[in-house]
Amino acid sequence: MSLRDLLDELTRIPGVRGALVVSREDGLVVADSLMESVDGKAVAALAASLTGRMAGVTAALGQPEPRAWQLQGSEGTLLAAPGREGLLVVALANAEVNAGELRIRLLNVAGRAA
Amino acid sequence: MRSLEPWVEAPLTTFLAESGARITLLTTSSGQVVAQHGFTHSLDVMSVAALGAGIIAATSELARVMGSPPLEAVVHQGNALGIHLAGFDTPRGRWLGLVVYGKETSLGLVQLFFGRLVEELGRVAPPEQPVRQVLAEDFEHELNSSLRSLFGR
Amino acid sequence: MTVDDIQALTAQLARDPSSLVFLPLAEALRRRGQLEAALAIAISGATRYPEMAGAYDLLARIQSDRGEGDLAFDAWTTVLRLDPDHVGAHKGLAFLSFRAGDFPRSLRYLRRAVELRPKDEALRAALGRVETTAGVRAVPGFDRTAPDPLRALEAEPGLALLVDPQGRPLAGGVFDSRGAAASDEVAAALAGISREAERTTRLLGLGAWRRLSLEGGPAHFELRTPTIDSVLLVTRPREVPAGRLALLADRAAAVARRWLEELR
Repeated sequence: MSLRDLLDELTRIPGVRGALVVSREDGLVVADSLMESVDGKAVAALAASLTGRMAGVTAALGQPEPRAWQLQGSEGTLLAAPGREGLLVVALANAEVNAGELRIRLLNVAGRAA
Repeated sequence: MRSLEPWVEAPLTTFLAESGARITLLTTSSGQVVAQHGFTHSLDVMSVAALGAGIIAATSELARVMGSPPLEAVVHQGNALGIHLAGFDTPRGRWLGLVVYGKETSLGLVQLFFGRLVEELGRVAPPEQPVRQVLAEDFEHELNSSLRSLFGR
Repeated sequence: MTVDDIQALTAQLARDPSSLVFLPLAEALRRRGQLEAALAIAISGATRYPEMAGAYDLLARIQSDRGEGDLAFDAWTTVLRLDPDHVGAHKGLAFLSFRAGDFPRSLRYLRRAVELRPKDEALRAALGRVETTAGVRAVPGFDRTAPDPLRALEAEPGLALLVDPQGRPLAGGVFDSRGAAASDEVAAALAGISREAERTTRLLGLGAWRRLSLEGGPAHFELRTPTIDSVLLVTRPREVPAGRLALLADRAAAVARRWLEELR
């Protein structure tokens, strides 16, 4: 199954505007499935940067890095889960998305993306 | 951050704040320095400007020989530092941008905000003034004056 | 007071129901734990003397001993209406507030009591204890001390941390996995996250950032912005349901916001 096929499992969820596989270290897009209005490069760079920051918080607490995170804005949400081999799976969605379902699928995809 | 062109300052300041770049150099395609940040010696600026222009020229030729469209950017990634080098069009002609960054940021962020810098420079550039003919005896004086401005002396 | 003394006072009160002996009598019964009897006498006395602060003070003490905190609160509030400088009422209200976990209010009453009776060592000692429990400390960026607003919310310390934009702890505290204090390091990391989250939502068109949820290993975390220049971290073991942690974080953020507004 290609990375694009994996991402399509996320974009099929109503409210999801885009899903990407990102290189964590570089913040560059590895694969994406995006609606036209979504700036994939920006999502990739910012999500990777935020993931690094969060790892800094958990490291300060002597804990492993987060296995998933969600940033909720007033008009949309961003979720991400580190995958294997330095990859990060990211989903961008509307505020109305079923975040619980998206989180479960995201973790599933992150476990398989490589 | 020092700039010879006042209208470059705001976009470049934003770029530096958002990208976390350590060193940035903007030059014209002929090697004239427009703005710099992070350099401590004027000789370094001149050397880097020349080297950057050479890399871009060599890469462009490489692309041509391979039958490829011109490359948008060149990236050299080391263990501790990375270098992003790109040519871009402005209302004032072709410029080159060289960015050195460390592990506190990422290539993705540098590229993201470099792209926005280019867009903003295109938006805020004032109308071009008529070209003033530069005489040989003026050139060295102008170069030294530029370097003094860039290093705040 | 002996049993004979109590009987004598009781007889005196029976002969003259308007007598002020109801005060020492009810107090004696209260000290002996005979709260039902003490209450009846105190209520009768307070009804007969509705403008006497001492009567309501006595009533409040009996009601507090009976565990009727709300009634005791009302009675002591009446005392202060009748006599704003009544030290006993300030002490009583401080005690009730402390028991309810409202440390800032408790401190206000106790500090007033100390002002009224500055040489009372017991009062000063009580104030010191409450300040310690409330986590009173200097707040960076403000030229005053203040009780920790998160202390009353949290069942145990180490579960919440409020941070200013410069990455300095404002309230609360967290510990690392070895049990060592980690507030300073985490505060510094949190300031950076808040700026990063704001930038991310802004550049991606997600609106204003409201919350950040981290699903960790042994623990989960929720981040909030109680004000535009502060960030709050709340954490619980991963066994606590995510929705519950989110509600706890929302509540803590509201408390933190009020506290910061009062400080300013």
